[in-house]
Amino acid sequence: MTELVRDSLDHCVKCTICETFCPYSRATPLFPGPKYVGPQAERYRGSGASVDASVDYCSGCGICTQVCPQGVKIAEINSQARARLWEERGIPLRNQLIARPSVLGRLGTPVAPFANRTLRSRPLRLLAERLLGIHRDAPVPQFAGRTFQDWAREHRSPVAEQSVVYFHGCGTNYYEPGVGQMVVEVLEHNGFNVLVPPQDCCGLPLQSNGNFRAARIYVRHLVANLARYARDGLPIVANATSCSLMLKREAREILGVRDEDVRVVSEATYDVCEFLLLLHERGELRTDLQPLALTVPYHAPCQQRGHGIGKPALDLLALIQDLRVIELDADCCGIAGTYGLKKEKYEISMAVGEPLFNALREAGGDLAACDSETCRWQIEHGAAVHAVHPVELLHRAYGLGPNGAAG
Amino acid sequence: MIGGGSTGAGVARDAAMRGLRTVLVERKDLADGTTGRFHGLLHSGGRYAVKDPDAAKECIAENVILRRTASDCIEDTGGLFVCTPWDDPAFGDEFVAGCRATGVPVEEIRVAEALRRAPRLHPGTSRAFTVPDAAIDPWKLVWGCARSAEEHGAQILLYHRVLGLERDGRRVTGALVRNELTGEELRIHADVVINAAGAWAGQIAELAGCRVNVLPGKGIMIAMNHRLVNTVVNRCKMPADGDIIVPIRTVCVVGTTDTRVADPDELEVTQAEVGEMLDEGEKLVPSFRRARALRVWAGARPLFSLEEVSDTREVTRSHALLDHRERDGVEGLVTITGGKTTTFRLMAEVAVDAACEQLGVDRSSRTAEEPLPGSEDGRFYFLGSRLRAREPVPQTDEIICECELITRERLEETMRRRGSANLDDIRRTLRLGMGPCQGGFCTYRATGILHAVERLDHRAANASLVSFLQERWKGVHPILYGDQVRQARLDDWIFQGLLGVQHLPT
Amino acid sequence: MTYDTIVIGAGVAGLTAALRLADEGKRVLVMAKGVGSTHLAPATIDVLGFDPGPVASPAEALPAFTSANPEHPYARLRPGLIAASVEWFKERLPAIGYQGGLEENFLLPTAVGAVKPSALVPETMAAGDLRTGGQYAFVGLGLKDFYPAYLAANLAQAQPDGHAVSARSIEVSLPLAGRPDGSSAGLARMLEEPSVRDALVRELSRKLERDERVGFPAVLGLARAGEVWRELETRLARPVFEVATLPPSVSGIRLYNAMSSALREAGGRIHVGEPVVGAETSGGRVEAVITQPTARASTYRADTFVLATGGLASGGLQLDSYGGVSESVFGLPLADTPPPGGPRFLPDYFAEHPLNRVGVAVDDRFRPIDAGGQAVYENLHASGATVAGAYPWREASGNGLSLATGYAAAAAILEGAS
Repeated sequence: MTELVRDSLDHCVKCTICETFCPYSRATPLFPGPKYVGPQAERYRGSGASVDASVDYCSGCGICTQVCPQGVKIAEINSQARARLWEERGIPLRNQLIARPSVLGRLGTPVAPFANRTLRSRPLRLLAERLLGIHRDAPVPQFAGRTFQDWAREHRSPVAEQSVVYFHGCGTNYYEPGVGQMVVEVLEHNGFNVLVPPQDCCGLPLQSNGNFRAARIYVRHLVANLARYARDGLPIVANATSCSLMLKREAREILGVRDEDVRVVSEATYDVCEFLLLLHERGELRTDLQPLALTVPYHAPCQQRGHGIGKPALDLLALIQDLRVIELDADCCGIAGTYGLKKEKYEISMAVGEPLFNALREAGGDLAACDSETCRWQIEHGAAVHAVHPVELLHRAYGLGPNGAAG
Repeated sequence: MIGGGSTGAGVARDAAMRGLRTVLVERKDLADGTTGRFHGLLHSGGRYAVKDPDAAKECIAENVILRRTASDCIEDTGGLFVCTPWDDPAFGDEFVAGCRATGVPVEEIRVAEALRRAPRLHPGTSRAFTVPDAAIDPWKLVWGCARSAEEHGAQILLYHRVLGLERDGRRVTGALVRNELTGEELRIHADVVINAAGAWAGQIAELAGCRVNVLPGKGIMIAMNHRLVNTVVNRCKMPADGDIIVPIRTVCVVGTTDTRVADPDELEVTQAEVGEMLDEGEKLVPSFRRARALRVWAGARPLFSLEEVSDTREVTRSHALLDHRERDGVEGLVTITGGKTTTFRLMAEVAVDAACEQLGVDRSSRTAEEPLPGSEDGRFYFLGSRLRAREPVPQTDEIICECELITRERLEETMRRRGSANLDDIRRTLRLGMGPCQGGFCTYRATGILHAVERLDHRAANASLVSFLQERWKGVHPILYGDQVRQARLDDWIFQGLLGVQHLPT
Repeated sequence: MTYDTIVIGAGVAGLTAALRLADEGKRVLVMAKGVGSTHLAPATIDVLGFDPGPVASPAEALPAFTSANPEHPYARLRPGLIAASVEWFKERLPAIGYQGGLEENFLLPTAVGAVKPSALVPETMAAGDLRTGGQYAFVGLGLKDFYPAYLAANLAQAQPDGHAVSARSIEVSLPLAGRPDGSSAGLARMLEEPSVRDALVRELSRKLERDERVGFPAVLGLARAGEVWRELETRLARPVFEVATLPPSVSGIRLYNAMSSALREAGGRIHVGEPVVGAETSGGRVEAVITQPTARASTYRADTFVLATGGLASGGLQLDSYGGVSESVFGLPLADTPPPGGPRFLPDYFAEHPLNRVGVAVDDRFRPIDAGGQAVYENLHASGATVAGAYPWREASGNGLSLATGYAAAAAILEGAS
């Protein structure tokens, strides 16, 4: 419930640790810092209209909550304050649009080549910046044309003793279906029958743009599709670390959705690297992995760290011989979902990501690994380094074919 | 007049507005006494509607007047009377009848609506009623009156303690006072002395050989770190301990007890009382004990009684005006006592009326019409004010007390205006150090700024810092647990570990 | 994945234990609720500063101290272990450039101008040593967490170690208009920019007197502190030092970064933001610790465990509204608890409060013990502020205790393993 998050402000001892770690308050004077807009300002809220403005510059990366030694749910408090702010101001068209990736996906997919040309056209991007406020250089992905669901519909997953459910997310579906194929193939290689039930957006971009009402509708709809599998004891595996965090935690904590369906789904949801590593710990992961002589810097997205499970990708990739994984120490790539797409936030986003881009360039790897698709797009844009999901490397090492966007 | 609480400040204002040459003496800082130690409730009168109808009528009349004239000091939180699972729902009918009989606007609402307004209420609440309770900031109120009084020519002398009342036969002609900061004594000649010393009124009256039976009724209050409710919540029952929560500024205050004590300056807070208050808090707001308590303090109600009573809850909360000519044959002295902050203006009016009568002056009060400085536009205080003033960013002025959003500019200006070497005076004016960190971060900063602005000797600055810490500690240590003990421990590390203030010369 | 050791808590105690173990080839995981004590305290290692007067030499004072305080964690340590931990720390973290040792305490100025003894001091702070006396100028950079005039006024009266000290303050304004972050950490990052340092040196050079050493708030760089400090010393042609001030402690941030990267380089892991909420135990052993970051719990197994969750400040120990104290992860029995029904705190702020020394009692292997002196779990060790018997913010023993007890816990594990 929203009250639980607000009540966590009581744990704040004003120690400033969150402010020290916040990459956004460091990059712009427009954001006074997580302590300020979070537990501190929250004591001034709740009565009358929202007076907030600066909280909109919080990106929702969640680093503050992770480093807080007292358990204040800072990013979550900010998220709720932002929603109240936008509810009163009225959410602008741009935010409504970019917060609905599945709608954009459905619109763009049938006319993918045309849509992609539009997105690459400089004059049209300038127009989009002026009219909608989407920065001309913002890293928007290209429509794949044929969605992952198109592929999944035609794909027969081999019958097996165990099944898993695959929650692919909008990014995979409309922009990177190849990654989804690889996830499925890796799971099947490990003896799972993979189910891909009907599913739509988890609502996270709506949540981070302050439209809680719509976000709740989306997440409930998604959960309704997944719940019966969860009740049957099937794990739900996802490669989009932000979307799976929505199911695992944010739907309940930030949106206050306490339905029983959400609870059972959240208990059954796994990040794909988390899932594969658990298999390995039980001795059930196939280890017929070929060596891959590559140097791969790895960046764990903020929302992956928000899962609180460490960095399973590191342990998984360590199974591949000759693969040299460099764990990067940078905090945030700056995209923060839709934050870095916005005209007024793009520069901030690039400034935030700068240390990561530098570290990537310095690491001089063959390609980078990162679990979140929006982060990968930002990395490619900011560091000019090709980035893949860790599961792609496993796929390659298993020798399952040069599918999708690898290499 | 003697006494710098709400009554005294109100008297100074009213008298000065009537053109009387007025001086107020207060032994410490304004609102250091009972006015600065209550929960901030602007009564609708509902609490007294059944038990003390006279007090109820006074409360609602003054509530309306203050909303009009002191709007900037008031947050219009509204109030609820709720029947918790521990209360008899039938009392609700008596309550409504009492309100109607005394003119207190009351309306029964659905429990679901009450829970919507105050989600932290007990889910087993059986009935709920709305009344026009509100939250009133006592320091703003008192400082507003003082400023208005000064604008009309009054003199306010703080840290001036009355040593004796000057007499000429059976007539009081003034007071001998001592400036506590300098040690200097001075004689003040006055045609009339108004004793508005609240819980100390008996001690002052003694100085003229008059007996005023003021019974100090100690009440403790606990400030919780954030507003668990945004409307005043009262338990719908006969008044008892711990049955009110008032959201005031960024905190909410739960109170209170009522224990007879002998000396209004000896107000000890016991662990048992704290435990009792927390238990009562749990009845109003479940899981109250898990919420963060900031501090606990005690105030002494000035309960006036013609006879001795053992249970101070039996004493009326209505005020008493004592003209000593009739009672004691002493001229030139008027005592106004009893009452509550909600009715301060009325008390001041009747006191100044009595003084005017003795002076042979025929002027009436305008305080029911004329707004206080700062309240001219009639707009209520809004919780988000200090936050709104800082948004949107960036701002150039630094924030010194982060919990209470006090800027350096504001702090320096207050220090200069008050000319005080005492951080506690600043605290009372601005709320410095009254937030969750209880001065952990702002004390050092404020001391450094005080040292510069007031050009203090470093020992005086050290003394102010140490004294501030001791004052804070008084209210913190009896209720230190949970989140607040973590804060206190961090603050200990800062003051004693990092800064080493225990080694400073004072 | 089973680890050799799981350390709970990422303060100095936890990171010390983890680093010692990782250096010896152990597979170590540090799990922490958040980032903590390093960021709130200066990076000095205070071993013993007051007993109750200022201590000139911890090496000389410790034997008497430990005999007089047999319940103090120092009394549990083998002779020579504190010295070994200090020497190891100094050598292991070259980026900090620690100076000093157990033989003599430095006397450093605090941000209000009091004097604090410290055994091991980062190179950026060492020139602030007051033992030699002399002239000190303290520079204000417009940082709201530092008041050099007030500091200097107090320090000039201090007579540390009997030597006269002359102290004054200088205000310098840096070109910081429109910069986002006015905190110590923000200022430290800004001072890593050459143009900002140029402006500082330009303005300050004109104002300094010949024989003055110059003190700044601890903001001389973050990642490149050593570089910034050395450059200023060269360009100002005099000793330069930092004075620790309110959190965020920049020197502490540097320490955390140095320790955590050393740990990672040695093969250790740190998970921040993963509070341990419980444990699996059996047959007098801890088998695993449990976290519950989302709806589903996770289990982490190890052979040995180190509890370094801190004391009341960090929530390693908790005090409830009924006056009950508990240890948060394992529910371990506690020592030095005030008598039930008695006061936990006294009315005088500076008094020694009955609750001050509460914590977990340990045996000579730093394993938590019960009232009968038996180890509660054979493979669980405790270190840092979780341990009972110390009064670190008055003894000036904070980081020293964390370092020594973290080192001791690691030593006990290494011995047990061999």
